[in-house]
Amino acid sequence: MDGSNRSPNAELGLLDATMIGMGAMIGAGIFVLTGLAAEIAGPAAILVFTLNGVVTAFTGLSYAELAASIPKSGGGYAFVREIFDDLPSFLMGWMLWFAYMIAGALYALGFAPNFLELLHVYGFVAPPDAVDALAIPVVDIALPVGFLLAFVAVLALVALNAVSTAASGSAETVFTIIKVGILVVFVGFGLASPMFSEAEFQPLFAEGAGPAAILPAMGLTFIAFEGYDLITTVTEEVENPRENIPKAIFLSLIATVIVYLAVVAVAVGTLGAQGLAEAGEAGIATAATEFMPTGLPIIQNGGALIVFGAVFSTLTALNAVVIASSRVAFSMGREGQLLPSFGQLHHRYGTPFVAILASAVVMLGSVALPTQSAGNMSSLFFLLSFIVVNVAVIRLRRERPNMNRPYEMPFYPAPPLIGIALNLLLTGVLVVYLVRTDPLALGLSAGWILLGGVAYFLLDRVRTPAEEGAETGIDMGPEAER
Amino acid sequence: MTGSRDVIIAGGGRVGFETAALLADHGHDVTIIERDERIVDEIADEWVATVIEGDATDPGIIEQAGIERADVIAALTGETGLNLGVCLAASELSPEIRTVARIERATGQEYTRFVDAVVFPEHAGARVAADEIIGRDMQTLADVTSTLDIMLVRVTEGAPAAGKQLSKVRFPAGALVVSDDDGNRVARSDTTLTAGRRYVIAVEPEVADEVMNLMQG
Repeated sequence: MDGSNRSPNAELGLLDATMIGMGAMIGAGIFVLTGLAAEIAGPAAILVFTLNGVVTAFTGLSYAELAASIPKSGGGYAFVREIFDDLPSFLMGWMLWFAYMIAGALYALGFAPNFLELLHVYGFVAPPDAVDALAIPVVDIALPVGFLLAFVAVLALVALNAVSTAASGSAETVFTIIKVGILVVFVGFGLASPMFSEAEFQPLFAEGAGPAAILPAMGLTFIAFEGYDLITTVTEEVENPRENIPKAIFLSLIATVIVYLAVVAVAVGTLGAQGLAEAGEAGIATAATEFMPTGLPIIQNGGALIVFGAVFSTLTALNAVVIASSRVAFSMGREGQLLPSFGQLHHRYGTPFVAILASAVVMLGSVALPTQSAGNMSSLFFLLSFIVVNVAVIRLRRERPNMNRPYEMPFYPAPPLIGIALNLLLTGVLVVYLVRTDPLALGLSAGWILLGGVAYFLLDRVRTPAEEGAETGIDMGPEAER
Repeated sequence: MTGSRDVIIAGGGRVGFETAALLADHGHDVTIIERDERIVDEIADEWVATVIEGDATDPGIIEQAGIERADVIAALTGETGLNLGVCLAASELSPEIRTVARIERATGQEYTRFVDAVVFPEHAGARVAADEIIGRDMQTLADVTSTLDIMLVRVTEGAPAAGKQLSKVRFPAGALVVSDDDGNRVARSDTTLTAGRRYVIAVEPEVADEVMNLMQG
């Protein structure tokens, strides 16, 4: 259906599928969000990532069951479309699309400070906090450099994906191995460093906030676990998918939790929760420059390797969500739930051009947001979509008991019910937290859903006359085949 | 609207399964109803369609296959009577649906009083076999090689490639437009893909859905 099918022999094995999921999760989340999580929850940031892994495992079970029984490559939207009526499935697609677009903005915003840090390590620019704004003489206003970098990163990757299908190939496995490899180096040196041996994890919880601060931090960092939706967008290319997709979901989830745990423990242990919080989006990179050996050949400073890892991860993750968001919009167009042009390939480039451009507009607008707002909104919409996916499992079991399910989750109906309850809890906590600290993000989220409602009814208007025309079009079916 | 249809196929045997695989390759949305558990497992391994396990004459099973949203139901089991029954039940449940029934004898054309179309796969297969036996250089416009499909495709109004010159449209590698509109001439780079006209296309199955997207939206 899209560009990746151009290389027909690209059969993905279990390892590749697992790497796609890990690549999406271990991508930018760990680099961008660790500092922010430490700011909210203190050293308990370690718990935050672990607990999120547990929460999301329940939804992972639902994804595994759906992906094994519905042979479609559309991810969460395709599953929900299978069982829900027009309006709920439209809203699901609408929310998932937004979640990916905002995630794109988040990764772009995470890319910028890490890129500046990389330049700084090699002495090209002043320390990141010293580079505040870039004056543009022509328009006579100063734009923050970080914003500009994020904007340019989105623009470049959108352009790349709009005119070429090369970027969506299966280089993901190599990318992920590089990313994980760099993090392993980070953990190794971190554990060995003298800073870690005098690590201070007490008090575990941030001062004044207590254990309750874990919940909003979980809400913010939930997005770091969205990766398995991406696995299910490529199921058609995976060999023996009914066995490999569920396995890939669980393997990538377990591996990711382990990596997160090690990385966050080292980061908190060396830099301290306070220092990590101050470093914000460049938290891991800053921690690395503290303890990595210097004076190495070629790269000089060992910390540069980690900073490079952060730049590389945020860019590849950004690329992945540019593709993922346009896939959701493309599927919605194919299903007649967005304007048909969204579901069409460009006649020249063979890419879902309109879907990519539309996604780009929202992403480019969103890089103006603070990083934290982008994380909050993206997590909020992933939480909401995951609730719907869990409901879809229950509904499918009730309404289509005879459907063939190559993988059936154990202890049904407990996992989806627990998944719904926990996701709802996090959603609630996140909303309450946003009311207090980030009304902008909340307002924009509500606005997007309202806009979706309006779009749905307008499309319905447009569609009703068009539908009749389409009915007569069906008659050409047998003729075209003959 | 897009060219993709929501199709239910009753019977996942050789005819039903091959049909489902072909449709899925072309980007259509297929659900198979099959009562034999062994065959259900085989189909599930091939990953072409959602499978409902059960008897296709059971209205509850037809409903589980998503009859209310389907555009077409094709009953492709080996039994004509069963196929007609499935189609009639489906029309009862969803009056708008297009029905296709597989028949066993050439005389079955009169069944079109009850269903929208009938197919006689053995006859189509016999035609291909006869072509092979005679060994002429030219083949019927059908499944002529092991995987390559030669299709006659009508360009839909508003499709990405509609109204475009052939040289301006980048078809994926593995696809070739063979004939000019309505098959009078071999296509040239200045050939225009006109909406409503039909073109002979040679296409490899892997890229068939992309080609259909470009030509039919």
